[in-house]
Amino acid sequence: MPHIRLRDVHVAFPIYQGASRSLKKSLVASSMLGNLSKNEANNRIVVQALNGVNFDVEHGERFGIIGANGAGKTTLLKVLAGIYEPTSGSCVVSGRISSLLDAQAGLDPDATGRENIIMRGLYLDIHPSVMREHAAEIATFTALEHYMDMPVRTYSAGMMMRLGFAASTCIMPEILIMDEWLAAGDAQFIGKAQKRMEEFVERSSILVLASHSMDLLRRWCRRGIFLHHGRIQFSGDIESVIEAYDDFVHRNSGGEL
Amino acid sequence: MSATERHVARLDYAAGAQSATNFARALYDLTAGFGKVWVWSTLAWQDIKLRYRGSVLGPLWLTLTIVIMVGSMGFLYAKLFHMDVKTYLPFLTVGMVFWQMIQSTITDSCSCFVQSAAIVQQVRMPFSIHIYRMICRNLIVLAHTVVVIPIVLVIFHRPISWEIVLLLPALALLSLNALFLGIILGMISARYRDVPPIVQNLVQVLFFITPIFWAPEQLGRWAAVSQFNPLFAAVDILRSPIIGPHFVPYMSWLVMTGVTVAIGAVALPMFSRYRARIPYWV
Repeated sequence: MPHIRLRDVHVAFPIYQGASRSLKKSLVASSMLGNLSKNEANNRIVVQALNGVNFDVEHGERFGIIGANGAGKTTLLKVLAGIYEPTSGSCVVSGRISSLLDAQAGLDPDATGRENIIMRGLYLDIHPSVMREHAAEIATFTALEHYMDMPVRTYSAGMMMRLGFAASTCIMPEILIMDEWLAAGDAQFIGKAQKRMEEFVERSSILVLASHSMDLLRRWCRRGIFLHHGRIQFSGDIESVIEAYDDFVHRNSGGEL
Repeated sequence: MSATERHVARLDYAAGAQSATNFARALYDLTAGFGKVWVWSTLAWQDIKLRYRGSVLGPLWLTLTIVIMVGSMGFLYAKLFHMDVKTYLPFLTVGMVFWQMIQSTITDSCSCFVQSAAIVQQVRMPFSIHIYRMICRNLIVLAHTVVVIPIVLVIFHRPISWEIVLLLPALALLSLNALFLGIILGMISARYRDVPPIVQNLVQVLFFITPIFWAPEQLGRWAAVSQFNPLFAAVDILRSPIIGPHFVPYMSWLVMTGVTVAIGAVALPMFSRYRARIPYWV
């Protein structure tokens, strides 16, 4: 059964300033004994993005993540997706996973729409022959039939988004990890996309959704957590999590969040 | 292995464990990545296709570039070095074809992770896939340039011997080298952005001091020194099966095997230790 287990997950995120990216600075610093220059080379900010996060998600669950900007939501999703390995703690995610963090990322502007569909498949661990079968369906769905063999850089922003969305949602994963609701687009497309997205979510075994939209979280998630500064501030059923978050926002409104 | 099991293995990691498990994870990355032939070969072909999109000759430009370079350099340097064109031109052609592959593999090693930043930060896949993609791309390029060699051999009536089969193990050994080099240079370049231009300049200089367009014998009694130049060894294990060996036959194999073991001894611990940092660096 697909499941997620997070135990005391910490992620420390080094931000390399322009200076410490340079090899010279590091070499110079290590050859000199002065503390000053050493500090200059190590002049990096370490962001403690996640600070001891624990939770389990079982088969069939819909799990929501709430938090202000910079609370660590995206980092947490990237840990779940296996992109970041935790600095300490353990993260076990078992099941065929699909992370829709940014549907448009990774589209190659010089490649054609069709080639981009194949490449998206490669990134999602789907064989080109399978992806080729889906290409026709994607073309119809996005109404891009006549543009499939044109380079993506000639597409409008909306067309690119449609392509990225449709290519990412053509194969059903067991575990779906999403940063904000994907479906978007012009008035014509949004209805279709909404429907496809709903099917997609309904058929996945586990959904983890980070969002700022309380309506969306209420609608899709039963349970969730409220993240603040990389820690779980509150966890429980989605209503009480939203309540805790609202309380927190009200208490801190006016002050810094 | 079912898809699910594969993903379990892939994501079942516990950070902070001993280096033994780090090493196991690194090895898993290398083998699982290699197993995904269809991923890296498709990406490599895509790279080539995109590079020549819209051009009439397409990848034939790769072939033509070598022809132009060898054609123009061959006669001039044969004159300058007082060598017979019949011996010099085949020597130069074979050397240049393989040097080009080696050179672009070294410089591409620097960009293998940085270039794939968008993928590295969006989806989980073995990091080694980006290195295999780079190696495969360079082998495809080689397949386009290598055709010049038989043509030149025929024109200058150079016979070939059974030793030609040694090309296969030689390419395998160099590919293993490229994998280790991709790990080392790819990771260092992702972390320190000054490294790619340093490497590019270095390789350019090394081209002139390595016996590629000049023969090691021209060094006289110092000829044996060049035998220990790893870049010479790399070119030599590919060149001598085609146009015959220099002074010590098979010495280059020894040197190249030693080099592979040495950089492997650096690359594997480095990959084990810092592999997980790659998404933060690119």
